[in-house]
Amino acid sequence: MVLARVKGTVVSTHKPDSLQGLRLLLLEKIDAVTLKGKGDYVVGIDSVGANADEIVFYVTGSSARMTEATKGKPSDATIIAIVDLIEADGSLTYRKSEAAEASP
Amino acid sequence: MTIARVRGTVVAATRSDKVEGARWLLVEECDAQGNGTDAFLVALDMVGADRGQVVLLTQGSSCRWTRRTDDRPLDTLVVAIVDTIDREGETAYAQGKEA
Repeated sequence: MVLARVKGTVVSTHKPDSLQGLRLLLLEKIDAVTLKGKGDYVVGIDSVGANADEIVFYVTGSSARMTEATKGKPSDATIIAIVDLIEADGSLTYRKSEAAEASP
Repeated sequence: MTIARVRGTVVAATRSDKVEGARWLLVEECDAQGNGTDAFLVALDMVGADRGQVVLLTQGSSCRWTRRTDDRPLDTLVVAIVDTIDREGETAYAQGKEA
């Protein structure tokens, strides 16, 4: 699974029926220690109700079809978790509640 | 399988994978000596690995070939804790014997 930050949404009206009603989120992969964006973007289907600026992790490949939201659908990147805490080398690098307070 | 080192943990309460009692590890891919390559992943822990240990990762659809992960949306598992890595007759890595 890959850590990324939700940077926005992607809207598409011209897509297969099987993708109708699914949220497409713009994700930027992040460094797990510094939390800085890597400038590397993917579009993921949301299966957890993630919001802008949240850190999430997503699955790729055939595993992306294994959530209730994406079963049998042509997704190759699906967000499966909203991250609350990241601990690296014994120190907290990310805590969701603090991040929410810090942003206006 | 890929060689990686456990660098930390990730906590996530809102999830769609439905894996019970899941423990998520922050892992960094590494070379045969255990030196990190700055490529981080989140992996489901299957073996009780601890921070600092060198482990093996299974990635992709093969992650679904365990009883616990059957049909789950997972693409990275920690499947083993490495004791030693031998390369061309030399010990490249031994757990607990690092400089």
